[in-house]
Amino acid sequence: MTKEEQLNIINDAIKQTKSNLKPLGYNLIFWSIVIISMSLFHYFFPQIVQYSFYSSTIYWVSIPILGMVYTTYYNIKTGNKIGYETQLDRVIRIIWGVFGLAWIFTVGISLLYNINPVQDILFLLAIVLIMTGLIVKFHNITIGGIGLLIFTVYTYYNPGINLLLVNVIGISFGMLIPGLSLYLQKTDE
Amino acid sequence: MNKDIEKLLFNPIRLRVISFLMSVETSNFKALIEITESSKGNLSVQLKKLNEAGLINIEKYFQKSYPTTDYSITKKGKDSFEEFYKQLISYK
Repeated sequence: MTKEEQLNIINDAIKQTKSNLKPLGYNLIFWSIVIISMSLFHYFFPQIVQYSFYSSTIYWVSIPILGMVYTTYYNIKTGNKIGYETQLDRVIRIIWGVFGLAWIFTVGISLLYNINPVQDILFLLAIVLIMTGLIVKFHNITIGGIGLLIFTVYTYYNPGINLLLVNVIGISFGMLIPGLSLYLQKTDE
Repeated sequence: MNKDIEKLLFNPIRLRVISFLMSVETSNFKALIEITESSKGNLSVQLKKLNEAGLINIEKYFQKSYPTTDYSITKKGKDSFEEFYKQLISYK
């Protein structure tokens, strides 16, 4: 084997390593649909969601936890199918894992002190989206995150605003549209 | 450079495996078959040799009762590959 052939083998092997961003797009779409559907259901049927003191809490905690179980299963399955994990994939996995822990922590604190966690969660989500967009160099996610951040800050100055509608608008523009554009983008670059 | 390592990387399958593992965190056996386009038996032999030389880690575990194996490059593997690559470039 000549030196030239050896260099070609190395280049070929490295070229075959691509971070597959489709699963990230799928995760963003899945969570957007879950949160938007839950918010709309709560908005239109408050008598069902808030029929007792704890029912609303159970509604907003149990469904996202089921979602977490499903997305964890999906990500493990997809990871096995792809067969390898790049450094970029690992960074993204860690960032969203930390967001999941922060979500649990924020919900826990909000239950203890009886405060609405929506704005804090949206703020965290916006930061994570900006980080993700910058790391994977996908501008739509970065812009979505910045939009969500501005929108979240705006809600702090408008305490009377309906937080369920905030969820729907913020998540639609900050997560659903960027997630769809990531999922549908061509990967054969 | 260590002659044994140089001899080890002279094999195209082993070189392809090491080059691929340099750019990923971990890989499973199926992905390595696709990358190297070699048979299961041949790849297993080459991976064993790389592992014995301390260039790659082999981690075996059970996932949903199925045996799974993950491969990753070691510090020695990274250093050896970098040295090997520098040598190749210098010859060019």
